[in-house]
Amino acid sequence: MMCPRFDRELELYVDHELDADAVVTVRTHLAGCLTCRTHVAEREALGRLIRSTTYHSAPDRLRASIASRAARSTAPRLLMRWAAAAALVLAVGGAVTMVRFADAREAAIAGDVVDGHVRSLMADHLFDVRSTDQHTVKPWFLGKLDFAPPVVDLATSGFPLVGGRLDYLAGRPAAALVYQRQKHTINVFVLPNGTASSLSVGNRTIRGFHLRQWSRDGMRFWAVSDLNDAELSEFARALQGS
Amino acid sequence: MVLPHVDAAFNYARWLTRNDADAEDVVQDACVRAIRFFGSLRDDDARAWLFAIVRNTWYTRVSRRDVLRNEAPLSSARAEPVDAALDPEAQLLQQHTVERVRTALEQLPLDFREVMILREIEGLTYKEIAAVIGAPIGTVMSRLARGRERLLALLGAKTSVETLS
Repeated sequence: MMCPRFDRELELYVDHELDADAVVTVRTHLAGCLTCRTHVAEREALGRLIRSTTYHSAPDRLRASIASRAARSTAPRLLMRWAAAAALVLAVGGAVTMVRFADAREAAIAGDVVDGHVRSLMADHLFDVRSTDQHTVKPWFLGKLDFAPPVVDLATSGFPLVGGRLDYLAGRPAAALVYQRQKHTINVFVLPNGTASSLSVGNRTIRGFHLRQWSRDGMRFWAVSDLNDAELSEFARALQGS
Repeated sequence: MVLPHVDAAFNYARWLTRNDADAEDVVQDACVRAIRFFGSLRDDDARAWLFAIVRNTWYTRVSRRDVLRNEAPLSSARAEPVDAALDPEAQLLQQHTVERVRTALEQLPLDFREVMILREIEGLTYKEIAAVIGAPIGTVMSRLARGRERLLALLGAKTSVETLS
């Protein structure tokens, strides 16, 4: 039986629900009490075991069905926003509002990019095609997307290509290319871009993940990783220069 | 705001319903409702909200009594002899494959199972879990504690609470 004084605390400790002072108190006790230490170790091991069981990812058809519903529900709202924006622009005669709306949309996509990155790591669905060979990864996308994402291996720059998968971004199927730097994973999302072919680089940091966004040759790229800022910049430069 | 959380919603629903077809239906319905009613939620709240909607959808689909009746009886898993020289984690790992953990979790009564999933797999805080299941934090805490005891017992850990007391 664990010590009655710590009955409640141990559970809270395992679940990271204690404040810093209480954590110190519990750790001090654990250091001298094998029974409570075992109690905690068992529960922590159990948590790891549970996390090692199958994660039930949503089937693709469910995701697609929800995506189309979400798109349908946002379309009228977006239209109204654009109408409102257009009216404002007419009234004020400035383009400031348009820029702000474009910003909000960029921010939403950036959020989706980070979510996509996190999901790919969490749900153990990093690859649909696992290969370090760009000549294997590139053809894999054929027939799955209505555009051909450029695929280059950057192993010589220290960022080996490790695979690719089909993902979903800004309301449409996107290519996700996966690169590796030591233990860090870099996801590059690619979508065709009807307008700009110029090189515009945007940087963001969301929940600790760094983001780079640029356009090139009619495609838009988003690179996201927990890699440090400087190395991600290096990666983005390598990919843009390729 | 719903789309990034479809996997999490499905995983939770799958553990609630314990089969793919029901989970899919529940998530589909829940997302439609979420898109309609909670379009303006901040993303931090969206996941917990979606869990709550998934849960409500499931419960309104199947009356509470049916849910409980459909629950498999809690059969005690066989405890195999373990190498006492190993630490608790190694003992557990030695004995139990992923499959066995999954089976044990599915045998756990729904009230315990869902808090275990929300905490251990989805990483929700007590406060968030309390919001999802509509119960006080104290209830969340005690269900987690008892859920873990039951799971450890099901998995036949050498030093489960029962054998210690």
